Amino acid sequence: MAKIIVVTSGKGGVGKTTSAAAIATGLALRGNKTVVIDFDVGLRNLDLIMGCERRVVYDLVNVIQGEAGLNQALIRDKRVDNLHILPASQTRDKDALTNEGVEKVLDSLSEDFDYILCDSPAGIERGAQLAMYFADEAVVVTNPEVSSVRDSDRILGLLASKTRRAERSQDPIKEHLLITRYNPARVDHGDMLNLEDIREILAINLIGLIPESEAVLRASNQGIPVTHDANSDAGQAYTDTVSRLLGEEVPLRFHEYQKKSLLSRVFGGGRR
Amino acid sequence: MSLNVDRASTAFTFKGGMLPMTVMELTSADPERIREQLAGKLSQSPAFFQHTPVVLSVEKLDEPHLALERICAVCRAHKLLPVAVRGGSDPVKQSAWALGLGWFPPQEIKPRNLESVATPAPEAAADNEPVPASGGRIHRGTVRSGQQLTAPDGDLVVIGAVNAGAEVLAAGNVHVYGALRGRALAGIHGDAQAGIFCRELHAELLSVAGNYKRLEDIDPRLLGSAVQVRLSDDQLAIASLA
Ligand SMILES: Nc1ncnc2c1ncn2[C@@H]1O[C@H](COP(=O)(O)OP(=O)(O)OP(=O)(O)O)[C@@H](O)[C@H]1O
Ligand SMILES: [Mg+2]
Repeated sequence: MAKIIVVTSGKGGVGKTTSAAAIATGLALRGNKTVVIDFDVGLRNLDLIMGCERRVVYDLVNVIQGEAGLNQALIRDKRVDNLHILPASQTRDKDALTNEGVEKVLDSLSEDFDYILCDSPAGIERGAQLAMYFADEAVVVTNPEVSSVRDSDRILGLLASKTRRAERSQDPIKEHLLITRYNPARVDHGDMLNLEDIREILAINLIGLIPESEAVLRASNQGIPVTHDANSDAGQAYTDTVSRLLGEEVPLRFHEYQKKSLLSRVFGGGRR
Repeated sequence: MSLNVDRASTAFTFKGGMLPMTVMELTSADPERIREQLAGKLSQSPAFFQHTPVVLSVEKLDEPHLALERICAVCRAHKLLPVAVRGGSDPVKQSAWALGLGWFPPQEIKPRNLESVATPAPEAAADNEPVPASGGRIHRGTVRSGQQLTAPDGDLVVIGAVNAGAEVLAAGNVHVYGALRGRALAGIHGDAQAGIFCRELHAELLSVAGNYKRLEDIDPRLLGSAVQVRLSDDQLAIASLA
């Protein structure tokens, strides 16, 4: 039985797709059979970040509507053996996704995979609710700004009420807070919310903190999930996050503002 | 035929009961003015108006004839359901009955027993035990943006924070053992003795028996501190609990 993890946020552009790709890659690198599904019908993005956009033939909607088999639609990752991608449709209408259809797809994937990651669209409407509905765990992606925190709070309310686990009064979805695009210097200046404020408001377990990093931009332009960039701060932060998802205890990094020392500037160490 | 009436064969039983009821104390008999004020309140706290039964008190009016039918229509248009009239002249009583409303005799006049808010009794803190009155409700955990929590018959106790964008309502008191960042409405059926208590005040809106203050109206010096909110002379008074 696979563990179903939704990556969600409410607010758009906070780093859901980046995180879904990076975490899926990290889980697969650790030997877990992993599939990552793009639920953002009409705005597909995951295949770009995973670098497989040229190999897309069929998508989630085709599978749900019976136009293709699951194995025809699944794309095998070029770099990691255990990793598969199920892309979203660029052309179809959002309403093409049905609850029953999604359930069927997840059920059959569950037989073969250890982890199923669902990359949610932004918002709190049907698409986002469908992406979270069958989840066992949720990674709530939050940027250090008031509106993002507010939207994450809203999403947490939905996770506790509008999901299968909630409706069936089963154990609640395990909620994890993932803070992304954290810029310690700007937090220090008071331009952004700090880590403790966010934790206090959302009051859920912190699974990771990803600094604002050029490595992410580079990675998405190259179509290589940033987890592969083991020297980068963001790559390391996602690797830490994956370890914590797997139950390990890893100290938090990259959250403190350090003025660069002369040495680190000379040797190019520290953040890149 | 038997004289023994067993339970299964009775169609109903009469029971005495005390139900919480909002009293709408009219100080004007002009339906237009009532309409204006209701419209304003409705936009400020829509949660207050959910087909709430109300008793129209006309004790403070000195008019032998009332446009009762029009006043009732205005109320219903704003999702208040008049169920009875209290006080008024004989013709008022007759027209209440004609409209299918009940009639109550005027209330005995008692001095209002409002505790001084500025100087809370030293043992006030001891009253804040998380033990709600019967009919109350205890919620453990954060109340999140978009969520609404109501205790329609008593006190509401939240053991956790009420986040911005969330709304908590109670017929009685609202206690928040955490930060209050959302909207809190106490005394939603008109109980003017109700209060709001919280550990950390950042509320978007505070309301007791329909009298409200927005975040903007709150003295910034009180923000972030533990407070109690009470109604004093139809004004919300916010006092530090420290
Ligand atoms: N840690 C980071 N540092 C710098 N840039 C980042 C970081 N994380 C994400 N970004 C950038 O932010 C933008 C949005 O990221 P992404 O597409 O992952 O967000 P999303 O939440 O999936 O957006 P949408 O709501 O549109 O689906 C991208 O340009 C991405 O490169
Ligand atoms: Mg996305």
